[in-house]
Amino acid sequence: MESDLQTHVTFYLTGKRHGGQLGPIDGMALRPALLAGYRDLTRLRYDYPVVLCAQDGDGASVRPLSGLVDAALGQAGGGQDGERVRRHVLHLEEDIRKLLAEGAEGTLSALWDKAAGAQAGQGLGRVRAAIKADGELADCDRRLPARLVGHAWNAVQQRKSRRFAEDITRLIHKLNDILVADFVRSDAGKSVDVLKSGIGTSHQDSFDFDAMSRILRDSVHEVALPASRRRRVTQLLSVLESQRFCARTDLPAGDEADEPYAFAFGSCDAALRAYRERLPKAIELLKAISMAELEIRSEYHEAKHDPIFEGFGEIGFDPRDLSRFPDYLVCANASRMRGVENDRLAEIFSGGLPMKVLVQTDDLLEESPLGKGHLAIGLRAKQLASMAIGLSRVFVLQCPSSHLVQWSGHLTQGLLYSGPALFSVFSGAPEKAGTLPAYLNAAAALEARVFPAYVYDPSAGSDWAARFHLGENPQAERDWPMREFAYEDSNHQRMAESLEFTLVDFIVCDPRFADHFARVPPAHWNGSLVPVAEALAHEPVGLPTQVPCLTMVDESNALQKVIVDENLIREARTCRDMWYSLRELGGIRNSHAERLLAREKQAWERVRKQESAAPAVVAAPVAEARPEPPVESEPERSPDEAYIETARCSTCNECTTLNPKMFKYDANMQAYIADIDAGTYAQLVEAAENCQVSVIHPGKPRNPKEPGLEELQKRAEAFL
Amino acid sequence: MNMAATECLLQLYEERLQLEDYQSGVPRWCSGCGDNAILAAVQRLCRDEGLRPEQTVFVSGIGCSSRFPHYMKTYGFHGIHGRALPIAEGVKMARPDLTVFVNTGDGDCCSIGAAHWIHALRYNMNITLFLHDNQIYGLTKKQVSPTSPIGTRSNTTPRGAYLEALNPLTVTLGVQNVSFVAQAVDWIPELLYDIVKAAYHHKGLSFVRIVQRCPEWLPKLMDPWMHDPQKVQLVHHERALRISPAIAKVYKNHVEHDPLNMDRAREIASSTDVVPVGILYQNPCVPCYEDIRRSGGLRSADYVRRGLEGEFDKFTVWPEGAGEQQAA
Ligand SMILES: Cc1ncc(C[n+]2csc(CCOP(=O)(O)OP(=O)(O)O)c2C)c(N)n1
Ligand code: SF4
Ligand code: SF4
Ligand SMILES: [Mg+2]
Repeated sequence: MESDLQTHVTFYLTGKRHGGQLGPIDGMALRPALLAGYRDLTRLRYDYPVVLCAQDGDGASVRPLSGLVDAALGQAGGGQDGERVRRHVLHLEEDIRKLLAEGAEGTLSALWDKAAGAQAGQGLGRVRAAIKADGELADCDRRLPARLVGHAWNAVQQRKSRRFAEDITRLIHKLNDILVADFVRSDAGKSVDVLKSGIGTSHQDSFDFDAMSRILRDSVHEVALPASRRRRVTQLLSVLESQRFCARTDLPAGDEADEPYAFAFGSCDAALRAYRERLPKAIELLKAISMAELEIRSEYHEAKHDPIFEGFGEIGFDPRDLSRFPDYLVCANASRMRGVENDRLAEIFSGGLPMKVLVQTDDLLEESPLGKGHLAIGLRAKQLASMAIGLSRVFVLQCPSSHLVQWSGHLTQGLLYSGPALFSVFSGAPEKAGTLPAYLNAAAALEARVFPAYVYDPSAGSDWAARFHLGENPQAERDWPMREFAYEDSNHQRMAESLEFTLVDFIVCDPRFADHFARVPPAHWNGSLVPVAEALAHEPVGLPTQVPCLTMVDESNALQKVIVDENLIREARTCRDMWYSLRELGGIRNSHAERLLAREKQAWERVRKQESAAPAVVAAPVAEARPEPPVESEPERSPDEAYIETARCSTCNECTTLNPKMFKYDANMQAYIADIDAGTYAQLVEAAENCQVSVIHPGKPRNPKEPGLEELQKRAEAFL
Repeated sequence: MNMAATECLLQLYEERLQLEDYQSGVPRWCSGCGDNAILAAVQRLCRDEGLRPEQTVFVSGIGCSSRFPHYMKTYGFHGIHGRALPIAEGVKMARPDLTVFVNTGDGDCCSIGAAHWIHALRYNMNITLFLHDNQIYGLTKKQVSPTSPIGTRSNTTPRGAYLEALNPLTVTLGVQNVSFVAQAVDWIPELLYDIVKAAYHHKGLSFVRIVQRCPEWLPKLMDPWMHDPQKVQLVHHERALRISPAIAKVYKNHVEHDPLNMDRAREIASSTDVVPVGILYQNPCVPCYEDIRRSGGLRSADYVRRGLEGEFDKFTVWPEGAGEQQAA
């Protein structure tokens, strides 16, 4: 036994298989035990393949085939032959998956027909008819990220571009209306010929067009459109009609405008070049739209607006102004994200340009530039994402393609976001193909925390708690997700074990790393072999006494134990530490929060101890301090003074009719005493009596010589 | 997201209009008439909300109150008796971008126009309606109206009205799709303004009954209500009308009421001992007919011509043989 440990430790430290005991793993098609159930994906129902729905009313433009089938079965799968139809349809679904796995392509309807072949039947047709959505079927492969993101982008862009085109068309029509109205009012518009053509041929004899024209010309004198306005309107029309940012839908066939611009690009460099080239045109169009809006509302005032628009866009330009314009799409690959491309991407993001960038990673386990023994796991994707997040105005979605369908809502969110967005997607399909299918590989990357899923949405709020979400990661509280693994031992007894899925489980699936592993034959299995997760949890001091090992299965599903060298254990620790910091950003086990909590707890404990020692004091309930709203102070009035409670005047015109010099309305059409000397005390008293809301107070007479004062003062008493 | 630069620049230069910019002519109403107070409140609203005169329309029927559009320097349509609402609905349907108001009297709305009133509530188009309820036919010199109190002596009821008055509030609250019902009185200008403003901001048909005095024909009618502040019940809520301290000092009878509570709204609307002032019902979620039926298409001259020709063609009688020729 002692020699077993020595052999294992030697391998652990050096990666060398000494003696005949340890075996290589290449060629054995081993898999982590937790993946044992996923040998043949075509037999499983999961998120893929998806239908990239051509037209979909409710917005979900990507639908899993299995979901569509389930919904259709729910609708049309009932009846007497329900169970038979159900099985039939599920079988067909499996056949479609197989066709795709063999490389077939096409729409759902095409592949359905192909798979169904001659086998028809009442039930099948019924279910088929219940599936309303159709579109290209897409499996989870290397092309998937670009297809899916491109599809979603297209849907969003089409809607956006339609709205934009409608806006422009509306402006064109309204501007034309201005010119048409001017023509109708002009002498030419009132000419005999024009009037004639307005009536049509059938009743021309009934009219005297000469007389009509004469009367119209002589009787109605209209002011023609000022020359500067006509020039402006014509110029705006020419800009709006020649723009190429969206295709106008209202043009009759044959009346084609210039080809609209394309907005999808294969590299940041190309996209940026196009953006720069078009920027002057974009600014010109934006300016024309703003001016046209004012123009059609008759709000364009040359004195005010000319200066604004003359310098428009000269001293820099806010890209948010382009939010109505179509967005650019860049589909790039992480392996080409170096040098110029990298710089361009940084320019796009830091400039806040309206571009959505998909950076697809196919291989997470590239060797580091440092050479053998050094890995740079997912390095480029990580760099890009942290650069983007650091700029704080970029929407970032990171997600392996296995979970992209579930997270397509976030994808849409990013596409609708009014600024740049980065979609970092791991396809699971490296150039040097591993043993796992792309879907499984991508899902394993999420599971192993190599490619965690998260969203950073700057529009969701101003702090990390609002912006950052770690949503889809399994068992985010844990270092590594733990799953039940059930198997049969050599005595056919059912056994169950909890296994954790670590970075090492992810790497072992890639044949390029076979050298880092060694198979231990069952005869040498002993207590010194510990699960990798356990080894990771305790950093060893001194000479190791235990060796990390993986539980795996081979092609015949027999259990195997495989030990791993220290190199990969080190990588796994780094990976876990990165996961920790990501988790903190996502508010899970945040160290600041935990420290604060501990401090508060301590303080609370202290207070509690003190309280239990001291006699209880009943705290007086603290009245909620609610400050009274300040009362608008009415000026203190003396009863001698004449005044009107203006705010309560109901604008009845009584007093203002009685003496319009004495009583006047203020800016709100409510009465006040404008000039007390403009009338007599008798008028004041009469107004007070006539005022139905009794808000006129006549005060004391100012002219002691006015006749009848005694009687007047008596009448006034009621209003003092 | 805050505003983009261009938008800021343009807003910087918006015009501010004064009250006089909305005034047109000298009202021909009797002095002391409550219509003057309503006019002042509405002109204040236009000024404070910066409504553009050329984007605003007042539509009315026939009556003293229906002279309202003449006194507004905006677009207006002094219609025919009882038909203000159908005209306003047509305007709104064709030009949803315009702000549309309706001024109508108790005779105009609740008598000859009653059918239109019910259906306008159900259509719930985004229009603000002011019912100038003076409880009499004013313009035609004192005939009984549906809202005249029982016993009202008038030229048509010299021995006093025989029937109980119709309550425009409870009738309105009984119609499907009703979305905004409020009551104001012309003699409390501050509340009149607040209610007019809330009605304007509501999206949907805002029905505001304004108790309006007609000193010419019913000079004493509202005296008991005006002279006893306790008889004015202020209906308030944090999501509806809020009462200022100055008002609270004079009018001390308050009731808090959630404007979504329809049952309670009907109860308050039925009060006879007090006159409730405030927002009785408001539901922002009722869809507007013009939104449901919006076609989205741009009404270009060409589009209108094609539509009209299509309609006319339905009635055209072609001479024999010309039909085929036309079709070819
Ligand atoms: C079809 C029609 N019937 C009758 C009249 C006569 N008429 C003019 S105004 C009016 C009643 C007005 O009362 P109200 O609507 O309450 O308005 P007020 O004058 O009280 O403001 C009547 C019956 C008319 N103009 N047209
Ligand atoms: S009489 Fe009274 S209510 Fe009428 S305008 Fe004068 S102050 Fe105002
Ligand atoms: S008759 Fe009555 S409603 Fe008409 S203007 Fe005179 S006071 Fe006003
Ligand atoms: Mg009336």
